[in-house]
Amino acid sequence: MIKDSKPTVFVVDDDAAVRDSLRMLLKSVGLPVEVFESGQDFLDSQRDERPGCLVLDIRMPGMSGLELQAKLNEKHSILPVIFITGHGDVPMAVEAMQAGAVDFIQKPFRDQDLLDRINQGLEKDASSRRMLAECNMIRKRLESLTPREREVLDLVVAGKANKVIAGDLNLSQRTVEIHRARVMEKMEAHSLAHLVRMVLAVEQPGD
Amino acid sequence: MASSRRKSDPKPSTAPSTDSAGELDALLDAAVDAIIVIDERGHIEKFSRAAERMFGYTEREILGQNISKLMPGDYRSRHDDYLDRYRSTGEAHIIGVGREAHASRKDGSVFPCELAVGRVSDPTHQRFVGIVRDISARKAAAEKLRRSEAALQLAQQVAGIGNYVVHLDGSEPDYYSPQILAMLNLKPDAEPVSPEEYLNHWVHQGDVARLRSALRSVNTGSDSFDIEYRVILLDGSIRHLHHLVQVLRDESGKAIKHVGTVHDVTDRRRAEDEARQMQDRLTHFSRLSTMGEMAAGLAHEINQPLTAIATYAQASQRLLGQPDHDDADIAAALEQINAQALRAGEVIRRLRAFVKNREVKREPIDCARLLDDLSTLAETDARLHNVQLRIEVGEKLPLVHADPIQLQQVILNLVRNAIDAMLGIVDGEREVVLAARLTPQGEVEFSVADRGPGLAPGAVEHIFNPFFTTKATGTGLGLAISRSIVRAHAGRLWHTPNAGSGLIFHFTLPVNPASQGRSEE
Repeated sequence: MIKDSKPTVFVVDDDAAVRDSLRMLLKSVGLPVEVFESGQDFLDSQRDERPGCLVLDIRMPGMSGLELQAKLNEKHSILPVIFITGHGDVPMAVEAMQAGAVDFIQKPFRDQDLLDRINQGLEKDASSRRMLAECNMIRKRLESLTPREREVLDLVVAGKANKVIAGDLNLSQRTVEIHRARVMEKMEAHSLAHLVRMVLAVEQPGD
Repeated sequence: MASSRRKSDPKPSTAPSTDSAGELDALLDAAVDAIIVIDERGHIEKFSRAAERMFGYTEREILGQNISKLMPGDYRSRHDDYLDRYRSTGEAHIIGVGREAHASRKDGSVFPCELAVGRVSDPTHQRFVGIVRDISARKAAAEKLRRSEAALQLAQQVAGIGNYVVHLDGSEPDYYSPQILAMLNLKPDAEPVSPEEYLNHWVHQGDVARLRSALRSVNTGSDSFDIEYRVILLDGSIRHLHHLVQVLRDESGKAIKHVGTVHDVTDRRRAEDEARQMQDRLTHFSRLSTMGEMAAGLAHEINQPLTAIATYAQASQRLLGQPDHDDADIAAALEQINAQALRAGEVIRRLRAFVKNREVKREPIDCARLLDDLSTLAETDARLHNVQLRIEVGEKLPLVHADPIQLQQVILNLVRNAIDAMLGIVDGEREVVLAARLTPQGEVEFSVADRGPGLAPGAVEHIFNPFFTTKATGTGLGLAISRSIVRAHAGRLWHTPNAGSGLIFHFTLPVNPASQGRSEE
């Protein structure tokens, strides 16, 4: 994972003029931009792991915009996708939104509308990357727990009192208290509520 | 009293004389008509051979019986009355007149006959001689003739056909069938219209000269004519007539009569006109429908340059607001804006030329240029459906004589079908090859080849039928109209399997005569 690269706007459109004009527009507002002629070119470039957002033409020969989006979803890419669509592509746009697109915009568009959507996309990307980083951190902390501490954590998160936990695990209440203090320390939790929130953040999406 | 004798018997004494009686018998037996002699009470005295054959009785079994035995039931009683009346008043209705009557055979069957009755008086008593002629064959023939005449008249009426015979030698009166008069909206008993009157007052002005010269031609050697012209009826309505005349000549070659048939083809003409108009409308409709199918692609095609133009312009505005901008960037953007505007205009121009409903106009067409013109539409369509379109134009194609818009319509339609045929292909070639070449026969052949699944066995025979379609949203008119367009250009449209997989549609167009042997510039 490349951490420090600047967020970039990736443009995928088969039409050279549209591609070139978008590059010029984005450069004029100071956004880093990279353009691609096809979905395959973009996949080959591995840019989907980089921070930024994707401006994607929905109708393209070869791999269509929707097909590229599906491929990115398969790779669990978090790159936000803004579709640009022609007239009459509303059903496709709906499908794109259901598959997780940030937004779609009809051609031809006002530059500000597109830039607003790109900015929203970049913000969304930044926040999901922050969340992702946080989850990774929480996972690392969880991995630092001993098996016994993990058992105690699970029962604490399940809302059980120390006395019940001691009974369940066949430990003295004092021992449970010591494990619990270690867990709070290792997980850097400020409170029980904070601890629960962290555990749920990483374990809810079917981990 | 009744002479009970066989013909071989010696002559009875009651007979006038041996010699004359023998002569009479021979005469009676030789006659073709049945001859029966009765006495004044109606008892049969003589029954000729012909009578035996006609009625099925032998003379021996019928002699002495009442003549009413030879009559059908309803005549019998009346006949006795006739005899009674004659005996009392001497008043006879039949004698010497002859009339048609009915007679009854031994087997009970009844037949029509002509009956003549004569009276033979001698001093002692009266006799009557009946001569009976069986007319059932004649009756049947007459009935048949009447029926066939009625059938002919009915047929003429139904078919709108009338016939006439003009006897040039005046040997018989001319004949005009009732249907001819009905065709001209005249009453059946109206006076026939003379040829001069017909030409001057009935035939449409624009057709008189043609009909006149046709009529002249049969007087100067030609044996027939076949002509279609219009007549104007008294109520002002116009009918289209198909008029055939055959001249019959005698051995010396002299024309003796004209036999003519006149067929009212107004309805057929109208149907043809309507069919033609319908075809024009369908052609236009099909073009619009093909357009509709391509509409999404075309919107895309026009949207692309518009999007680029708007984006270049907006980027330029932003750059202009920046103090350190490079004028070269803006100049490049302006150049692009210009190019993209022209591109959009070109798409619209081609679209307009395609959709416009207009008169069919044949002109010399450069095939390469035509294919180039429609390549934008076809390629857009292909590209959006992820199909590769290859256009192969043979070198030095001669000009063809065709309507350019209709020709484009046929080609685009075939390309559209080819693209549709391959939508289901997931792996494998999705390629359409559009080609034009000169055949050894000197025609230009266009072909559109796809890599689709080909035709289902049941579809082969129907694909050219109007409203037959294998597509979910097809009109079923594309191929039907394409074929009618190609035929109207004196070309052929057909299909063959593509080597490997798929189908190839071919059509030919004759080369523009003026360009024969000339290469395109």
